[in-house]
Amino acid sequence: MLRHTLQRLLLALPVLLGVLLLGFLLMQVVPTDPAQVRAGPTATQDIVEAIRRDLGLDQPLWKQFLIYVGRLLQGDLGVSIINNVPVVQELGNTIGPTLELMVASLIWAIPLGIAMGTVGAYFRGSILDRAIMAVSVAGVSLPVFFLGLALIWLLGFKYPLLPFTGRMGPFWTWDGFLAIILPAITLGGVFVGPVARMTRSSVLDVLGADHVRTARAKGLTERAVVMRHALRNALVPVVTLIGLQIGFLLGGAVVTETVFSWPGIGRLAVGAILSSDLPMAQGTIIVLSLGFILINLAVDVLYAVLDPRVRGA
Amino acid sequence: MNRLTALLLGSAAAVAATAAPVSAQQKAPLSILRVIDADNYDPIRSTSTAAAEALYMLADTLVSVDFDMKTIKPGLAESWKVSPDGTTYTFKLRTDVKFCDGRPMTAEDVVYSLKRWTDPANKSPVSFRGGQVKDIRAEGDATVVYELKEPYSDLLFQIGLSFASVVDKNAVEKLGANFGVQGFNATGPYCWVKWTPRQELVMKKNPHYTWGPPIYKDPKPQIDEIVWKIIPESNTLMAAIQAKQADVTYYMPYIALDTMQRMPGMQVQRQDNYIYDIFMGFKVDKPVASEGVIREAVNMAVNKDAIAKAIFFGKGQTLPALLNASVLDFDKDAAAKMPKYDPAAAAKLLDAAGWKAGADGLREKDGKKATFTVYGIRNDVNPRITEAMQADLRKVGIDMKIQLWDATVAWGKLATQEFDAFVMAYPYVTATEALNLYFNSRQAPTPNRMNWKDAKTDEMLKAAATAVDADKRKQAIGAVQAQLTEANVWVPLVSQPLWVVSGDRVEGVRAHGVYGAGLYKGLDIKLKR
Repeated sequence: MLRHTLQRLLLALPVLLGVLLLGFLLMQVVPTDPAQVRAGPTATQDIVEAIRRDLGLDQPLWKQFLIYVGRLLQGDLGVSIINNVPVVQELGNTIGPTLELMVASLIWAIPLGIAMGTVGAYFRGSILDRAIMAVSVAGVSLPVFFLGLALIWLLGFKYPLLPFTGRMGPFWTWDGFLAIILPAITLGGVFVGPVARMTRSSVLDVLGADHVRTARAKGLTERAVVMRHALRNALVPVVTLIGLQIGFLLGGAVVTETVFSWPGIGRLAVGAILSSDLPMAQGTIIVLSLGFILINLAVDVLYAVLDPRVRGA
Repeated sequence: MNRLTALLLGSAAAVAATAAPVSAQQKAPLSILRVIDADNYDPIRSTSTAAAEALYMLADTLVSVDFDMKTIKPGLAESWKVSPDGTTYTFKLRTDVKFCDGRPMTAEDVVYSLKRWTDPANKSPVSFRGGQVKDIRAEGDATVVYELKEPYSDLLFQIGLSFASVVDKNAVEKLGANFGVQGFNATGPYCWVKWTPRQELVMKKNPHYTWGPPIYKDPKPQIDEIVWKIIPESNTLMAAIQAKQADVTYYMPYIALDTMQRMPGMQVQRQDNYIYDIFMGFKVDKPVASEGVIREAVNMAVNKDAIAKAIFFGKGQTLPALLNASVLDFDKDAAAKMPKYDPAAAAKLLDAAGWKAGADGLREKDGKKATFTVYGIRNDVNPRITEAMQADLRKVGIDMKIQLWDATVAWGKLATQEFDAFVMAYPYVTATEALNLYFNSRQAPTPNRMNWKDAKTDEMLKAAATAVDADKRKQAIGAVQAQLTEANVWVPLVSQPLWVVSGDRVEGVRAHGVYGAGLYKGLDIKLKR
C-alpha cells in the first residue's frame, strides 16, 4: 500500500513540473504587456520602458523562468505587480473561502446525489425514477453561471431571502451562513447530477447480484438490504467519481466565485489574469493545479484501499 | 425519517424567517458597487478611474471642481493668486485641516505631495500633468508657492485631479511601495480602513473633517462607513441594487436604466457635464488612412445618432464634434466644421476623388483598396459600435476590418503601429489637456497614436497651454480644434453620460463625475435608515 502511494506521489512530481513550465509559458505567450497595463493609456513609451525594467520584464525569458523557479523552491511565489502584496499571502487569504465553499457544496450535494441515485435505482422505471433522472440531467446540463444567476433572480431578487454579493464572514456566523447558501447550492448543483446517475447505475447492478438475493432470502428488511448490502457495495465507483468531480469543482468554483463575488482563489485567478498580474496568475495556476493533482492522488490511493486488486496493477 | 423531515422544515423556516429582512438589517455601511477595482490607491501611481473615484473621498486637493466641470472652487487652498506672467501660483491654505490620524496639515505636507507627483524620479505616469515645474515651496505654515518654468493654463484643473492629492509624508515613508495598498493617510472626508484587492475597500468617516468644498451644502461627511464592493458580474450588480442589497452604483448596464427608473424608491440621475467620450482615431501616416478624403467620407458615412441610440439603449449622446460641448474652451465654430451624416455625399466625395467601386463593391484607387484595420478594447460596447460602423462604411464602399483585444492585451497592441485606426474612450477636463495629450508631436507614438506631427498644431497647443489670458487660450485651442476637425483625424462617436443609481435608503446623492468619479467627495449623502 505504501509502495503504491509512493509510486503515485513520484508520478505526480513531473506533472507538477510540467504545470510550472506550462503556467509560466502560457503567461508569456499571451500578448499582454504588464508594463503597458500598469502605465495606463496616457503614458509615454519612456515611462512604460522604465516600469518594464523595474518589473524585470526586460530580462531574457529563460532568465525570468530560472529566477522564478529559484524563488519558487524557496517558497517565494513573488509579489503582485499590481499591489505589491506577496502572492503567497494573497493565496493564503483566498484559499480558505474557496475550501469553505467547496465543503459547503459537497456537504449537501454528495448525500443528495447518492440518495437520489439509490431511490431511482430502487424504484427503477417509476415516475419517481424518471423525475430524479430528469433533475440529474438538468443538473449535468445547466451551466454553473446560469444556475447562479437564476438563483440570484429567484431567491435574491424575486423573493429576497438570501444575500448574494459576496462572503459576509466565516460560515459558522449567521451572516456568513446566509451568504454561502446560494453559492453552495450553485456549485453543488453541478455535482448532484453525475453522482446521482452513477449511484443509480451502480446500485442497479448490485441489486441484481447474488448476495443481495441471499440477503432478501434471509428475511432482512428492504431498508437493511438496500443500505447495508446494496449501497455499500455500489459505492466504490461512486467514490471514484466523487474524487474526480471534486477536481472539476475547482473549475466550477472560478465561475461561481465570479457570479457571487466570492473572494476565493478562482476569482483571484480571474482578476489576476484580467489585470495582467503575472506572478499572481502563475501562483493561482500552481495552486489550482496542485489541488487537482492532490485530489487525483487521493482518489488513486482511496481506490486502492477500496479495491485491493488495484494495488498490484 | 420524521425527525429528519422536521429538522429540514425547521431549518428552512428559520432561514426564511431570519433571512427575509436581509436588506433591512444592513443599516450601515453605505454600500457602493462597481465592476472593477483599482491597481492601487497611491495617487501618483494609478491612472485608473477606479482609483480616482475612491481617492477623492480619501484625500483632498488644493482646489475642487464644480459640478459644471468648468469652475474651479476652493479646496485645501482657500484662495490663490497667479502672477501676471502666469508662472507662479501662490496658494493660501486653510489652517483647520487635519489628517485622518489627527495631525494638522501644514504647507510642508502640500509641498511634499506635489513634489512627489511632479518629480520625474518618481516615474509617475501622470507627472506630466503638473506642468514644467521649477520649484514648489512653502512660505510659512499656510502658503505654498508653485513656480513653473513657463505658464501652464491647465494647472488649476490638473491640481484638482486626484493625482495631486495631498498625502501624509510619514505614512508614505513608512509604507513605501505599500502606500495606497496596505494603508493610507490623508485629509479626505473618509479615512482608509482596509482594502481587500478585487473585493472591497472600506472607509470610515474622518471625525475631524469640516473643510469640504463649497460645492456641497454640508462640508462634513454624514456617513459612518462606506464600503466600495467589487461585483464583476453586471447581472449580479443589477440584481443587488434591485434587491436593495447595495445602495449606489454608477456602473449600471445601460439596458437596465429604464427598469431602474420605473422602480419605486429608486433614484436615477444623469450628469450631463460628465466627459467620457468615445472616438475613432486614424493613423495619418498609414496608406489608406492618410487620405483626407477617406477620413472625411468615414465621418460622413457613419450614423452616430443610430449608434448612440441603439447601442446605448437611448442613454448615450451623439458626439457631434471633436470634443464634448461641456468641456472648457469648447469651440462652436470648429464644431460646425465637422461633416454631417450624409452617406450619399460621402459616396460622391469618394467618386470625385477617384475612389471608384470595384466588382466587389469596394472602392479602389491606383490599385489600392479602400480598406483599413481598426483596433480597440473588447468591452461591452466596442464590438457593437465597430460592427455598426463597419456596416455603414460598407454601404459607401469602404471596408473596415475590426480587431478588438482583451483589455489585458489592448494597451500593448495600441502602442504598436500594426493598425490604421483605433477606437477609444477617455475622460478629460479641458480642451487644452485633451488635445495636448493626444496631438502634441512629442506624445507620439503613444498617446498620440495618430502619429499626428504638425508644427502648426504644436505651436498652437503650446500657445494654449502657456496662455496667461483665458481668451487667448480659448482662441489658440479653438484653432487646434478647427484644424483637427478639418483634417478629420478623429471620428467622434458617442459621449457616455454618467448615470448614478441609488436606492431608497440614501438621499443627497448628486452625480459629479470628474475623471470618472461619480460621487466625488461623497458629501451631502445621508442614510435614511
